[in-house]
Amino acid sequence: MKRSMLLVGLTLLSLAQAQKTVSLVHSGAITGPTSDVGGPYAAAIEDYCKYANEQKLIPGYTLNCIVRDDQYQNPNAQRFLEEALDRAKPAVYLGYATGAMLALKSLIQEVKLVAIPASAHIGLIDPPDNTYVFLPTSSYSEQVVALLEHIAREKKGAKVALVVHPSAFGRAPIEDARKAAAQLGLSIVDVQENGGSLDNTALLRNLEQKGAEYIVHQNVAGPVANILKDAKRLGLDKKIKQLGAIYTGGNDLIRLAGDAAEGYLWASSYYTLEEDTPGMRLHRELAAKNNRGVLGQSHNYTAGLLAAAIAVEAMKRAAQRFGRIDNATFYDALVGMNGPNAFNPGFVVKTANSPEIDFTKSEQTGGEGLRVLEVKGGKFVPITQPFTSTLFRKVHYGK
Amino acid sequence: MRNPWAQTGNYRTSYEQDTTIFATYREIASVVALLVALLVLPQLLERSQVLTLNFILIYAIAVLGLNITTGYAGLISVGQAAFMGVGAYTVALTAPYLPFYLTIPLGAAVAAAFGAIVGIPSLRVKHLYLALATLAFQEIFVWTVGRMPALAQGASIPVEMRNFLGYEIGFRNHNHFWYYVILFTLVLMVIAWRNLLRGKYGRALVAVRDNDRAADAMGMDPGRTKLMAFALGALYAGVAGGLLAYFQRSVVIEEFTLAKSVGFLAMAIVGGLGTVVGSLLGPAFIEYLQLSMERFSEWIKGSQAIQQIIPPGVDVASALLPLSFGLVIVLFLMFEPRGLYNWWRLVRSYFRTWPFKY
Repeated sequence: MKRSMLLVGLTLLSLAQAQKTVSLVHSGAITGPTSDVGGPYAAAIEDYCKYANEQKLIPGYTLNCIVRDDQYQNPNAQRFLEEALDRAKPAVYLGYATGAMLALKSLIQEVKLVAIPASAHIGLIDPPDNTYVFLPTSSYSEQVVALLEHIAREKKGAKVALVVHPSAFGRAPIEDARKAAAQLGLSIVDVQENGGSLDNTALLRNLEQKGAEYIVHQNVAGPVANILKDAKRLGLDKKIKQLGAIYTGGNDLIRLAGDAAEGYLWASSYYTLEEDTPGMRLHRELAAKNNRGVLGQSHNYTAGLLAAAIAVEAMKRAAQRFGRIDNATFYDALVGMNGPNAFNPGFVVKTANSPEIDFTKSEQTGGEGLRVLEVKGGKFVPITQPFTSTLFRKVHYGK
Repeated sequence: MRNPWAQTGNYRTSYEQDTTIFATYREIASVVALLVALLVLPQLLERSQVLTLNFILIYAIAVLGLNITTGYAGLISVGQAAFMGVGAYTVALTAPYLPFYLTIPLGAAVAAAFGAIVGIPSLRVKHLYLALATLAFQEIFVWTVGRMPALAQGASIPVEMRNFLGYEIGFRNHNHFWYYVILFTLVLMVIAWRNLLRGKYGRALVAVRDNDRAADAMGMDPGRTKLMAFALGALYAGVAGGLLAYFQRSVVIEEFTLAKSVGFLAMAIVGGLGTVVGSLLGPAFIEYLQLSMERFSEWIKGSQAIQQIIPPGVDVASALLPLSFGLVIVLFLMFEPRGLYNWWRLVRSYFRTWPFKY
């Protein structure tokens, strides 16, 4: 009896030792500037990691999730990544801010570590040093071009103004937007930067004077909410239609802008919280289980879940295909995520021609489909079928 | 009898003795010991800790410059990060064509030229009005970079250096290599600082700071002195910016914003305005504060007990860093306006006369 117990004990011990650890590191703005995005994003990554370990999603491995708060400071992001490289040897880096990611690109290239950032700046997947950076969904540039296509369908020759965040994040789509507008027969009447003015009367009157019929925002929700409220106060909400890319919208915008958000159009790849897909069911379940409250209501929580889900799926495939998870096998598993092996977790829309998430060595954007949603009765409601911008690749890559 | 190792009985009886940097052999020995310790230090630290050390040393060079403009000449500047940016962007544009030992001095020279231009208002305005002029430059710099396609509109410009005289520089030795380059530069800049300010020019700065009309009456040129103070302060910032560009492997505008300029002022105040030691202690203290608050903030977020006390919707962790940062500056201004340098001075005085009390 004693001997058999000893044997069982030894077997359990050897099994426990056989369980290896693989690390994922995320550095984002949990506090400080843009923490309204970074907070739910990081919470989702933590929750998905717990879920992955509970469900044993990576056979033979325990997932070690390192989530750090860089407070939107580039030196902090650099320090956290280097600390992780020294101490944990992560298989993947889930980055965050545009500035930090752009600054870290050459380091990422040198250490051959796959990075999946929250930022969708097209420069991250453009050369040089772009081999290991992958965007979970379409870039800001593609989103803005898609919105311009939507405007062109709605009104030929419309006059459009761009209002962007005063940063690399905000300026990312301007060049492609100008080229796309020229091809679509739209005229860009003005490009303004706005980082959160409390009174936008001058901005709006100026755009009105220039005859702007549409304002396309590339910003975060706060500044857009202020502009929407001011437009309503000035009676311009019926005269100028406002639209925006991914970080301008969501429940945060509705909470901040109130009824001034009615009619706002938003380009998003993500399903809404109310939709019944496997991914959104998991979103609701994890947010409730971890008592995430307001954080769990945000589409940024969905975005965090998607980034973590892609990472975990690639780890799982690397373990199954190569018997080990390291930088190289993770990369191979990720770029093999296409065709019949595409990943369909149910967080983002897919089009008739493309699966939900697919990557190749040259196609570094995961979810290429997006929809335009409109605020109706205090909720974002899809008003288009999922589509992919037809013009973006032409204006950006010339093909 | 004069003891060359001790301060006691060591009287300065000539002008040359009065302007010496080191009064005793013990002071020379302590500086040599410090340099040896700094040379050995990175070998005892993790790579990522060397990274933090590099930031401290780079910021120390920028703060040294600010201590010429603000500390010595009394001209408040809130544009130090922008001058640093001028140096960094000059390096980013010239790095593909020139080696780093030419690009960094070039960046410093361009920054100095900008400093002299920005200093022009100091000929007519003083105090807060002058601070506003430098603030305007800071904002104009960020605005201009954001609109210049040649500077990637503030997005990243890669600055790569993979090889130095046959020595391969990569991820594993990048931080260490740049540590020694930065340390060497810092030592040079400190020597230049001391030599500059202990001579005629340093006294002119102090005279103009204390009363520019009196300085004028004594034959000094207050206008030229002020412009030189701005140019020199910016030159130091330019060197720091150039080093930062190489060390971070890229230049992005986020590193040169108003918040950074305010941070440099805080480092100078906390360290002790107008002192070399303060220029080193200030950045070290602020970086350490940042690291401590980061750990404290993570602890608060992870502690269930604390989270239950905090009302819902109140993000204490977010507020901690700016709160502690502001509090430290206010406390230093109230209780120790001479900064950490004064504590250093008291400790040094104690040991200098040891075993005697006075």
